[in-house]
Amino acid sequence: MRTIISMLSFIVVMALAVNPASAHFGAIIPSNDIVTQDDDRTLGLEVKFIHPMERHYMEMVKPKAFGVIVGGNKTDLLETLKPAKGKGPDQDQDFTFWSTDFKIRKPGDYSFYVEPTPYWEPAEDCFIVHYTKVCVNALGLEEGWDKPVGLETEIVPLTRPYGLWTGNLFTGQVLLKGKPVPFAEVEVEYLNDSPGNPSIVAAPADPFVTQLVKADADGVFSYAMPRAGWWGFAALSEADWKLKQDGQEKAVEIGAVYWVHTRDMK
Amino acid sequence: MKILNYLFIPFLVSLLLSGIALAHKVNVFAYVEAGKVYTESYFPDGGRVEGGKVLVYDSQNNLLLEGVTDKNGEFSFDIPKVDDLNIVIEATMGHKNSFKLKKSEVEAGK
Repeated sequence: MRTIISMLSFIVVMALAVNPASAHFGAIIPSNDIVTQDDDRTLGLEVKFIHPMERHYMEMVKPKAFGVIVGGNKTDLLETLKPAKGKGPDQDQDFTFWSTDFKIRKPGDYSFYVEPTPYWEPAEDCFIVHYTKVCVNALGLEEGWDKPVGLETEIVPLTRPYGLWTGNLFTGQVLLKGKPVPFAEVEVEYLNDSPGNPSIVAAPADPFVTQLVKADADGVFSYAMPRAGWWGFAALSEADWKLKQDGQEKAVEIGAVYWVHTRDMK
Repeated sequence: MKILNYLFIPFLVSLLLSGIALAHKVNVFAYVEAGKVYTESYFPDGGRVEGGKVLVYDSQNNLLLEGVTDKNGEFSFDIPKVDDLNIVIEATMGHKNSFKLKKSEVEAGK
C-alpha cells in the first residue's frame, strides 16, 4: 500500500513538473482590434489566465486593477467586470474568467490593461502576477499605442500593434519600473482559441508550445508571427518584493504581457 | 540636360506629394450632445485638420450646411435635421473622407 501511494504521488509530481511546458499567460482578448465607422462600437473584452496554445484555463479571482488609457486619460473599468466560466476541451472542471463590454465613444488608441491579483502556483513555489495589455484602435486616430501605461513591468510596442499581417515582425521593449530589461526572456504563444482559427494547432514537441526569444541589451525583442489570430508575448521577471504563503515568504514572478492580432493577406 | 531637369523636378515633387497623401489620410468623426453636432477632423498621427471644409448632407444627399474647421480640427453646429447625416471633410490637396452619423444617434442627442 505504501509503495502504491508513493508511486502515485511520484506520478502526480511528475505530471505537475511536466506541465510547465505550457506557459501561463495573462490575457485580454477584445472582440475587435480595429474599430471602423461601420463596426459595432461596443467591444466585448475577456480577461483570463490561460495556457493559450493548450487551451487550458486557470482560476482567476477578480483583478486588482482593470482599465483603459485613451488620449492620455485613464479610466477605471474594474467594477464593470463580470465573472464567467470556461474550460479547455480536456479540462473536467470550470474556471473563472472575467468579461465586460466597453463602448467606444471617440477616435483613438484604447490601451486596456489588467493587474491581476497574485496567483499562487504551488508547482513553481511562487506567486504569479501578469500585467497584461492590448490595444484597440478606433476610427482612424492612431495615437497612444507607443506610450507606456506605467505598470510595474510592461511591454511597450515598437511595432504599431494593430493592422498586422500574418508573418509580420512584432517588436517591443520590455520595461521594469520604467527601465529597459536587458536580455529579458520573452515567451510567445499562439491563442489556439483565436476566433477564425481554421484548425487547432497541435505542437509536434514542447518547444513549439511556448516559443522563446531573448531581448537585446536595450530590452528590445522581435518575433515574426506565422499564423492568423491572437499572439501573446510574456516577459518574465522576479519582483523585488515577496508575498506570504502559509506564513512563508515566497518569490513573485511578474510578467509583462502584450497581445496582438494578425490577419492573412488575401 | 536642362530639359531633363525640368522633367525630373516635377516628377520628384509628385512623388513627394503622393507619399504625403498616403501617409496623411484624413478622418472625420462626429457625435451629438445636447442638440449640437460636434465634428473633429484629424490625421492618423493625431494632427488636426485646420481650415478644412466640412459639408453636411442628409440621407437624400441634400447639402444641409457647410463650415470650416478651427485650429483643433473642430466644427460644430445645431442639429439641422433628424436623419442619417453624411459628414464630409475636404482638406487641402484633395484629401477627403466622410463619417455617417446615424439617425438614432442624432435622435438620442437632441
